[in-house]
Amino acid sequence: MNAPDRFELFVLGEGQKKLTITPDTKLPNAATFTIQKEDHTVGNMLRMQLLKNKKVLFAGYKVPHPLEHCIILKIQTTPDTTPEAMLMEAFDELIKEFSTIRNKFEVIFFFFFFFFFFFFSINIFFFYIFNLE
Amino acid sequence: MNDISLSAITGFDSGPTVQLKELESDHIKFSLSNVDLSVANGIRRAMIADVPTMAIDLVEIETNTTVLTDEFIAHRLGLIPLTSTDVDKNFAYTRECNCTDYCNLCSVELNLNVKCTEDRTMEVTSRELISQNDNIVPVTIDDQDPGILIAKMRKGQELKLKCIAKKGTGKEHAKWSPVCGVGFDYDPYNKLRHTTYWIEDDEKTEWPLSENAKEEQPPIEGEPFDYNAVPNKFYYKFETTGSMEAKDVVLSSLNILQAKFDELRNELKREQNMNQYN
Ligand SMILES: [Zn+2]
Repeated sequence: MNAPDRFELFVLGEGQKKLTITPDTKLPNAATFTIQKEDHTVGNMLRMQLLKNKKVLFAGYKVPHPLEHCIILKIQTTPDTTPEAMLMEAFDELIKEFSTIRNKFEVIFFFFFFFFFFFFSINIFFFYIFNLE
Repeated sequence: MNDISLSAITGFDSGPTVQLKELESDHIKFSLSNVDLSVANGIRRAMIADVPTMAIDLVEIETNTTVLTDEFIAHRLGLIPLTSTDVDKNFAYTRECNCTDYCNLCSVELNLNVKCTEDRTMEVTSRELISQNDNIVPVTIDDQDPGILIAKMRKGQELKLKCIAKKGTGKEHAKWSPVCGVGFDYDPYNKLRHTTYWIEDDEKTEWPLSENAKEEQPPIEGEPFDYNAVPNKFYYKFETTGSMEAKDVVLSSLNILQAKFDELRNELKREQNMNQYN
């Protein structure tokens, strides 16, 4: 009866912003990003992508509560850049990565049936050659 | 042995690499290398929870004289997979549609009207569901496939109802998930010690190696633990419910993830611009 609506998981509420930036009041070059209606799928990928960056001193995320459908991402960077810029870079990298993976899958699906028997024979061929050496 | 990788086709190898091992319309097996664990797991999560399909969401029961209750039958109907190729493009979510309740752009009507007149048990299956849209029908493998059992009836019992199938994702309810779970594996020798095996006496006999172990180097006896090592190769294997082709599930999940980051990127841009004017 008092169960929350299921769509609260992925539909932005009235006047709710997808992404909010809260600069840290105590630390320099640090900010907290609140991303609404996202979960560990996006949170963990962003964290790991940010940590690959040498200019990022800290990156961590949490899902504050199972009934609050948002992630809180904290970033601290070196003084020569900003958390916003680093987050933007992480977005760009991830977008690029998924487009690469998708392209590779598309090519591989396209060639799959055509090459299947061809490669099978190639494998046997190489196996034969290596065994001779 | 006879799997194909893109590097073998194009002759170069950089960035994420895909090796396809098995591919059928409802089943796929592949490995993904040179990506982070978070990305590999994100793809798995997106395939389960973010790829949209059609499933029965509303049921209006006119007559039900079977032994099963209305809500029981409604639940069973919801779980029947419906063919959902290109649902992403061809249908809108009802909540985003312009209609007040539901319409042809965001839903499909299916009807069921059966009555048992013979003096023996009758089986009502998903084959008896008549869809208004030829593209959105209950999944069957071939003509011999009897369909999915909905209820059994004796003489005189009747079931008449109207179903509304809507577009949705596995995040909202598992009935919309296009996959029957996704097999996900990495580091079959547990060199990274991401897991601790629960054992009675002997780990080797109680925990047989996964089939993916033959693609990786076995650990050397007495080798020191490499605490900097990260997983690199991920093994996926899954079956679909029949609602989508396995390869479309993979491609769709990648599109969805990319779109998610595209949206966030635009939001961050807008947010930055607003802060500049303030
Ligand atoms: Zn509509």
